[in-house]
Amino acid sequence: MTTSALPALSDIPEDVVPGVLRIENSDKDETTPIIMDMLRSVYPHDQIFGEFCPVQGYVAAPPREVYEYLADTRSLEEWTYSLRGFTETEEPGLWLAYDRLGDATKIYTRTVANPDAMTVDYHCAWDQGRHLWMVYLMRVVDAQVVLHKPGSVVLWTNCRHPFYDENPYPETAPAGRPVWVGDFWEMFSAGHQLELDNLKAICEYRAAHGLPIKPDWMK
Amino acid sequence: MPATDPDASPLPTVSLVDVSSYLPGAPVETEYFTQFARSDRMAKNVMFRAPRGRHHVGRDETAVDMIERAVEPLRQRRGTQELSSVDVLITHTQLPDNPVLGSGPEVARRLGMRPRVVYDIHNGGCAAFVHMMALARMILQTTDARTALIAVAQNCAGPVFTQTEIRKLAQAPVPGDGCGVGLLVKDDSAPILDIECRTYPEFAGDMDFTTNGERKYWEPGPGQACVSFTESKVTKVFARGNRLVPEVALAVCDRIGVKGRDIDTFVTNQPNRLFLRNWHDALELPAERHPDTFDRCGNLFAAGIPVTLDVENQAGRLRNGSVVLMSAFAHAGDFAAAAAVRWGAAG
Repeated sequence: MTTSALPALSDIPEDVVPGVLRIENSDKDETTPIIMDMLRSVYPHDQIFGEFCPVQGYVAAPPREVYEYLADTRSLEEWTYSLRGFTETEEPGLWLAYDRLGDATKIYTRTVANPDAMTVDYHCAWDQGRHLWMVYLMRVVDAQVVLHKPGSVVLWTNCRHPFYDENPYPETAPAGRPVWVGDFWEMFSAGHQLELDNLKAICEYRAAHGLPIKPDWMK
Repeated sequence: MPATDPDASPLPTVSLVDVSSYLPGAPVETEYFTQFARSDRMAKNVMFRAPRGRHHVGRDETAVDMIERAVEPLRQRRGTQELSSVDVLITHTQLPDNPVLGSGPEVARRLGMRPRVVYDIHNGGCAAFVHMMALARMILQTTDARTALIAVAQNCAGPVFTQTEIRKLAQAPVPGDGCGVGLLVKDDSAPILDIECRTYPEFAGDMDFTTNGERKYWEPGPGQACVSFTESKVTKVFARGNRLVPEVALAVCDRIGVKGRDIDTFVTNQPNRLFLRNWHDALELPAERHPDTFDRCGNLFAAGIPVTLDVENQAGRLRNGSVVLMSAFAHAGDFAAAAAVRWGAAG
């Protein structure tokens, strides 16, 4: 029986696309046990963070101001664990800093922000600034809308780019560097949570003390 | 509950020195239920995926009968004298034979006991065995009572889940009947290392007992009485159970300085296979260190822990000196409890 007003899946010949569970091919009685089986007391780390590394948190500070702070690349100097010494390169919008996790490792960052969606994407790479393959996807959401309270929800996702497994530009690496950024992938969930906690603490302190979230030195 | 006075002298050690159990009647095969199932789909429901067998108490077999039979092997092992001199008797009956009477005094009469204290408790649900261990330990530690017998009779599977309408339900094949007892003594032969009992009032009231109609269960008329959850609450209760049992178990581990993965034997209540999997996963234990009797006995509710302990003990799989951790949650999550024992009752 078709109950939809739209010609859903009419471009696909079979009634059922393998792997697609919809109420038409799997009713509630059949689907509930599938869902139950997916619920666990604990979830293997890899199941949660295998291909993607999502962290998120609530920040008691105005969302527009949190967004504007994040949208400025220099904020990374404050709330990240190890990115320091941001200076703008000759190429507009491309910043150079040092990732002190990697000893004397240069990190290049270009920030792509969308004020309407309040998304802030940091396109980064170690060692070289031509191919910014490490992408940190962030989004600030008005907590009033999603949690019914003032403040911000910050969503932050990383995708496991294959270059995390192997440095694609070994010739740009400083000689003798013992680590590669992807060596830390298994720690990303914890490390990013730590940094998100930094972000929360900094923004909440400023908000609680009447300071601008984006400090004067960044203006 | 820790002692409130830090200067008070340490409380005496209490041991769980023996366990024993009883399963009524011949095993009831799952085919008994499949003949009544409304549809094949129902049988697929994983939440209520059926055990291979279960036992059903007979229509005229009372909770007192069950307890008496569960105690018998224990009496044979320890002697009539030790049993008859028990100071404290605590019972828990899932479906009271007489709703206005507890079974404790009659149990005492049958066993030739004259306990100074009898408690028939009706809370603690599937965690009642641990709840009663906590209660018995408190009495033994704070009075001159020396021994306590705790008994749980799970007897609702036969009477309730074989009713003509109820037996058609997907969950009907899951419960089983059985009875388990434990003997506690004020000594250090098989010490209770720690107990955690937590009540969650916020989760109370999510389990109903209805006649599937307007009738109260004590009123005359049609409609068959049964425990029920609404569909949405089944998922909520499932998620709660996933969390609660490891939470109390790990709280006990933490206090006795043992990692979950170092527990020798973990015994829980056994509502279904998913919970069993999720709980030993949460403690990082291999399944073989989390024995259960689900396939033989179904969901034994409060009797699950002592029956499984007895089966494992009689099979020689509980080594004296090993750490046995018990954990369970009750009803829709209104109570959860865990206890660790340095086993000393090897069968």
